[in-house]
Amino acid sequence: MSVLAVICAWFVAQLLLFGGLEQSRAQDRMYDDFREQLAAATAPVGGIVPPGAPVALLNVPALGWQQLVAEGTSSGVLLDGPGHRRDTVLPGQAGVSILYGRSSTFGKPFAAMLDGAAGKKMTVTTGQGELTYTIGSVRRAGDPMPAAPAGTGSRITMVTAEGGGRLGSLAPGDVVYVDAVLADGAFVAPAGRLNAIGPAETAMASDTSVMPALALSLGVLAVATVGVIVARRRFGAIRTWLIGAPIVIALAWLASDLMTYLLPNLL
Amino acid sequence: MSILRPREIASLLLAGLLVVLMVTGNSSSATAASTSAQVSSAADGGAFSASKTITRVVKGLDGADDQVDSRSFTLNVDHTVNLRGRERVGISWSGAHPSGARAADPYGENGLNQEYPVVIMQCRGIDNPSLPAAQQLRPETCWTTSRQQRSQATDPSLAVWMHDAKASDEDRQLKSGLRDLPAECSDAATDATHTTPFVAASGKVYAACSGSTMPPEAAVGAAFPPAELSAYSDANGSGSVNFEVRSATENESLGCSNTTPCSIVAVPIMGISCDDDDYQCRREGRFEAGSSNFANEGVVPSVSPQYWWSASNWDNRVTAPLTFGLPPDACAVLDKRAPTAFYGSELMNQASLQWAPAYCLNQKRFKFQHNRIGDDPAYVLVENGQAPAAFVSGTREIEDKTTRIGYAPTAVTGFAVGFVIDEPNNAGERTQLNLNARLIAKLLTQSYTGSSRGQQRPGIEKNPLSLNLDPEFIALNPGLDRIDREAAATVLSLSESSDVIKSLTAYLESDPEAKRFISGTPDPWGMVVNPSYKALKLPTSEFPLRDTFVPTSSLECYIQNPAPYFSQLASPVNSITKIASAVLDAWPNVQTKCDRPNAGDPFKVGRVERQGIGTRFMLGIVSLGDAERYGLRTAALQTSSNVSPSSQFTSAADRRFVAPSTESLTAAVKLAKDKGSRSAFDLTQPMLRKQPAAYPGTMVVYTTAKLRGLDKGEAKKVSEFIKIATNEGQTPGSGNGQLPDGYLPIRKTGATAALYASAQRVAKLIAEQREPAAPATPKPSKPAAAAQPPVASAPAEVAPAAAAPGSTPTDSVVATDATVATAAQSSGPAGVLLPLLIGLAVLAGLGGPVTRLVHTWRSR
Repeated sequence: MSVLAVICAWFVAQLLLFGGLEQSRAQDRMYDDFREQLAAATAPVGGIVPPGAPVALLNVPALGWQQLVAEGTSSGVLLDGPGHRRDTVLPGQAGVSILYGRSSTFGKPFAAMLDGAAGKKMTVTTGQGELTYTIGSVRRAGDPMPAAPAGTGSRITMVTAEGGGRLGSLAPGDVVYVDAVLADGAFVAPAGRLNAIGPAETAMASDTSVMPALALSLGVLAVATVGVIVARRRFGAIRTWLIGAPIVIALAWLASDLMTYLLPNLL
Repeated sequence: MSILRPREIASLLLAGLLVVLMVTGNSSSATAASTSAQVSSAADGGAFSASKTITRVVKGLDGADDQVDSRSFTLNVDHTVNLRGRERVGISWSGAHPSGARAADPYGENGLNQEYPVVIMQCRGIDNPSLPAAQQLRPETCWTTSRQQRSQATDPSLAVWMHDAKASDEDRQLKSGLRDLPAECSDAATDATHTTPFVAASGKVYAACSGSTMPPEAAVGAAFPPAELSAYSDANGSGSVNFEVRSATENESLGCSNTTPCSIVAVPIMGISCDDDDYQCRREGRFEAGSSNFANEGVVPSVSPQYWWSASNWDNRVTAPLTFGLPPDACAVLDKRAPTAFYGSELMNQASLQWAPAYCLNQKRFKFQHNRIGDDPAYVLVENGQAPAAFVSGTREIEDKTTRIGYAPTAVTGFAVGFVIDEPNNAGERTQLNLNARLIAKLLTQSYTGSSRGQQRPGIEKNPLSLNLDPEFIALNPGLDRIDREAAATVLSLSESSDVIKSLTAYLESDPEAKRFISGTPDPWGMVVNPSYKALKLPTSEFPLRDTFVPTSSLECYIQNPAPYFSQLASPVNSITKIASAVLDAWPNVQTKCDRPNAGDPFKVGRVERQGIGTRFMLGIVSLGDAERYGLRTAALQTSSNVSPSSQFTSAADRRFVAPSTESLTAAVKLAKDKGSRSAFDLTQPMLRKQPAAYPGTMVVYTTAKLRGLDKGEAKKVSEFIKIATNEGQTPGSGNGQLPDGYLPIRKTGATAALYASAQRVAKLIAEQREPAAPATPKPSKPAAAAQPPVASAPAEVAPAAAAPGSTPTDSVVATDATVATAAQSSGPAGVLLPLLIGLAVLAGLGGPVTRLVHTWRSR
């Protein structure tokens, strides 16, 4: 019973608390990378960008909200922050760009979009320059779809999930959309986007490619746990705690991160 | 002393178990969640309907507007998404002006001499003013096969477009449309000229003012006949047509594809709106509503389809946006991995076309490829280990007794007799045809003589010339013309060996009338079988060409080219798809046309011309999948008869004819008996005859593969294919990985439950590669439930919200008239996971101390 409680509590803590730390560290790292790329004019502007690489910086000054968008929308990429769907144009380019982001775990990057963001200005910084979009209201199932942007117009559709009822913020089951619009002046989209993506990169999909790594990390965790129990008997609790706790915590962290890959990516 | 205490081991095991449960539970429920999104976003085939008020306004002599006519025009298109090249969509409309001067052939320039028709065309682009100009449709992106349909030069007194009230001043000039005409146009300075150029997908502009300035696909004798037409509305202003769409594969200049959206444009012609009192412009039609125009006389220009591009006609248009599926070569282009080739049955053609992208675009699956060859050679490849799997439709003998081959039911489909037959007197197409086995036997055994040359054949001189002259056919299908045709003396069939022919000939063999006829007994009207085919042994998987009779002729061509006449009539082809396109084009494969390039050259014989609309009569053996894709009409086959085989009859009374449909295929498949994993189901023609509601052409296609000795990797792929094909592959729809029309879905419950169970069992056996000790005992087939519940598990692939699978982002699909609603998409696990985890943690956290308390209390 206690073991079960610890595992569940750890997992919840990972999703809601530690995940936030991890995400904000990833954001910092990506921010550094992206800043360097912008300065060196090597930030990606089109073609096929490796998944996980930063592609755009979103900033809503009115909310004090800033996120770096990474390429790709699989569960793993979205651990680090919002992700850009790879078969759409990049943010800031003419056309419709789709971004996915989590709203209740791992730093809740898109939670801000669901609450009072409508009408605010959002600046988008990419390798092509800086543009200011206007955020629209939340679009739920059944709401009319906006018309496709014309000419050099651009739209960023932010896709995330929200829940209803009393536990709404903890039960984000429904996919919702927030559109940010730029009437004209968007950058030209170079050719060479992917025209199809895998099922793991669609909304609410999970990424099962992580299974082998997960199995391995769980195995190592089990061995470490056995090791700790044996060591406690031989060397006493204090010394075991000193050596064992960091190892076990690190492994548990890794395993629960990998398990998150198997959860719906907008959670 | 043990290293671990039992309690510690137990808690470790428990923790491990919990983690495993969480992992597997989450991943499986996540898949289930994505399913619901797919179903909701691809609910129907994209049926389209839109209404518009269309008007004709003529300025009165006093200068005031005078509304001549106003109608509410409604256009319906039965499906518009994921179309493939040459697919036909059903279009119907109401509220148009009743048409007059009906032409026999409404297609291309032949349909121009009609009054008040509805011009239906395929145009590149979408009718949405908010899109960039390059993505919008306009007259310049609408396909026509001749320049007469787009560019006109005439005497200024007849140039009604110059008086169009809605046209810009520029378009009312003597010369309008394209400027700087090329020299080929040879435009006379005194003529009123309007040139509507064609802008190809590549951006190239074709002046379209003469035959030589049209795009290459519009050349004389091009590969495909015109698809655009001026369709006829009845006295109520309603009408319907089957419209053939062209993809970039067929028409590169038009260039419609999965990335280039196109639309169907219907322009109801109700007369040009005039801004002055020009007599020609103000005229009404001179033909009565409902009249025909066999003589192809000229019509009143203001109400003719020739000026569909003129502003007031063009403003009345209604457009239905289309989306196209991936081209057939998508997998070769998008996926560089080596394919795993499955060989065999052409019946799977349309299904594998839609299934393949669901494999090659998913890197977690293998790259599936279907190579169409005969069932027998495909099976031999599997047996020899040269191919991992084959599609076949019946049990085969095993050469090597040590081989073990499993049969997994993969699709329920079948064959049909496709036809294109026109009603006499320009009354449109015949929609229903009744055929019994004896008529098919007469066609296949070449017992109709075709022409006076065939009548020289000793033994069958007295036989009718063609099917439509046979009293038996007339009794079953009254009201058709009695013109003899060589094409109606035969049914276009397969030259290769195929299970389709085997099944068809088994149908003939099981029918008493057909059997007696082939054995040599004349039919009740005295028609006899061609002696070359007398007592032909049936069933056979390859229908032979036995007649070698060479007629004599006084014509130079036939003297130079002596050939067996009946083989020229039959001229079977090597693939079922070719038969389907021949029927689609009404182009018989009869090889009796004499031709020579110049007067002095020697003659050669070749394929006859396409049949003219109005007098078409052609039959072919097609697959149900092709028939549905191309919108071919299929004959109803006789399943039972209370009439004595030797008595004459004059009507279809006391006979039952069954057309292919979901119900008749279901009735047939209910009869199938499981014969174990190493054999096809038992579904013979004598069994089918006992159920008069069952369609006799029903066939089950099996994936066959070795149960031992197959490479492990290949075995896994075949097993994966069977599982995917019989689960997500059975969701009806037009998207990638879905089951096209013409196939009966195999489901866990209902009539196909036994097929489903067998497929899952064989998939497992193939994956294991451990041949079963003894053949599995046949299970009695369960009584099938009447209603078929929807498929339990649907594709795991998620379509982007509200978009058709296979197309790029959602939001780019915009409808013209209706706003698209955001699709609902939700995920069960995402909704419950966190509360569940917290709840569990709290419960377990409380439970631990409580149990300990209870324990201490007890031990006290």
